[in-house]
Amino acid sequence: MNMITKQHPELYPIVRAHYLASAVCFVLIGVLFFFASADFAGHYFQPKLLAITHLAALGWVTMVIFGAAYQLVPVILETGLSGYRLPWLSFVAFLSGLVLLVCSFWRFEPGLCMQGGALLLLTGMLGFTIVIFLTGKRLKNKKENIHQEMINTSCIWLLATGILGVLLVFNLRYAFLPQDHLQFLRLHAHMGMGGWFLLLVIGVSSKLVPMFLVSRKQNLQLLDWVYYLLNGGLLAFVIDTYLEGINNRTYLIALLPAAAFIIYFIYLIQCYRSRMKRKLDLPMMYTVLSFILLLAALLIQPLIINAHVQNTTQGIALTKLYGLLVLMGWLSLLILGQAFKTLPFLVWLKIYGPGTGKEPTPLPSDLYSQKLLIIQGIAFTGFILSMITMALSGLATPARIASGCLLLTALCYLLNLTRVLTHKKTTGHA
Amino acid sequence: MHSFDITDPDTYIEMEAWERLRSIIDPELHVNIIDLGLVYTIRANSALRMLVVVMTLSSPSCPVGEAILQGVANCLEARFADYKTDVQLTWEPVWGFDNITEEGKKQLWG
Repeated sequence: MNMITKQHPELYPIVRAHYLASAVCFVLIGVLFFFASADFAGHYFQPKLLAITHLAALGWVTMVIFGAAYQLVPVILETGLSGYRLPWLSFVAFLSGLVLLVCSFWRFEPGLCMQGGALLLLTGMLGFTIVIFLTGKRLKNKKENIHQEMINTSCIWLLATGILGVLLVFNLRYAFLPQDHLQFLRLHAHMGMGGWFLLLVIGVSSKLVPMFLVSRKQNLQLLDWVYYLLNGGLLAFVIDTYLEGINNRTYLIALLPAAAFIIYFIYLIQCYRSRMKRKLDLPMMYTVLSFILLLAALLIQPLIINAHVQNTTQGIALTKLYGLLVLMGWLSLLILGQAFKTLPFLVWLKIYGPGTGKEPTPLPSDLYSQKLLIIQGIAFTGFILSMITMALSGLATPARIASGCLLLTALCYLLNLTRVLTHKKTTGHA
Repeated sequence: MHSFDITDPDTYIEMEAWERLRSIIDPELHVNIIDLGLVYTIRANSALRMLVVVMTLSSPSCPVGEAILQGVANCLEARFADYKTDVQLTWEPVWGFDNITEEGKKQLWG
């Protein structure tokens, strides 16, 4: 009866490795963005953009999600992580696969390096999925839990995205897929963004947001609707687009995830309105703003479908903007905020947990620099504005400004993260 | 709601323990555990030199639960060094928002 979830000592180094690797990838994206400024004017299917997109989706976002999941899934599922060796194996496979894949995309050499990289990445994803599923199996309370359903299903989408990604890599050399490569690329991207990122973020944030806001109201029934509408919409999109390509029916299919998002938004608003904690701290402000970027991305969707149905050239610019808003906008801002909501706790527990009550200690929010977080926010706003201009105009100048702002954001983030991770014990409130 | 018997000398130890525990702050909410309503009872027994705290957490998955329990034990052991402190965790009754005191609500609302 009187059991609580304790932090395993082996958890901290695993989470730390994932956060650090992800932050380094973020800085690298800023650097590569600069060297690829001119390429943003062209089509999205080109070597440098493929390299940057995969570095962002896998190295920056997925890597930090893996680390955060190892920290948060035990909290959400109220049980310990199933093991601590497999996350390390998964990390090594994933990171080495990422290096191989990104380098071979940049130089566009669809040979052994690219294929090996893709397979290693898939191995890393498989390792992560096994850890999450086995952790779910340890649950003593077998009652259905929508958060767990979302996390598990997002892992299945991750594997599906990874498998299709591997097939696409081999297709570059052997061209065996029955349809246009870009058609599969579209499916690959949507499975990853909708099935993996969106579903996982909804699954985790629907538990954490009311926890951080101290919300009285949590309408979990709404989350059931979100789950079925989002998965139904994605499945319908994958099947229909595979068979017919983007067509008039795609408008109708897009309504399903749109409805899912609206319902999720209602859930968040209810949590926000019933909150007992009035003031939002900076990391939570970033989290709220990140969902506005997602909303902006979703509003572009009908325009992209229209451009494809009408066969106009606008589709390419809009698709780039859509991808940038989701990956570099919504997900990046979400990480830039939530990293400072979750990681300081892990460090605080490790350093101050055993000694609390003996002497005054700083709070987890004292572990990071507010100033750096503000500069990071300003630089990121500059990045978003210049990125939108860049995607719509195709000009190189906004692309260079965007890369400068992105690099500054990434450096602030890395510096602040390092500050948290290297925090030395002090007494009294900072 | 805890009650005090001024004829009982242990009451004063209990009262001081309640006040001492106000120094244990929930690191996320920035509100002390007494005003969050996490502590249900404190019983002192000067004859046995025992101090028993019955308390709960906002949820079994509370990420800082272990640190809060440790903090309670550390805090009381530091003040009542000649007493043995026993911190008992219970889930009955389940903690709810109604447990938060008016002062706690004010602090949360900022």
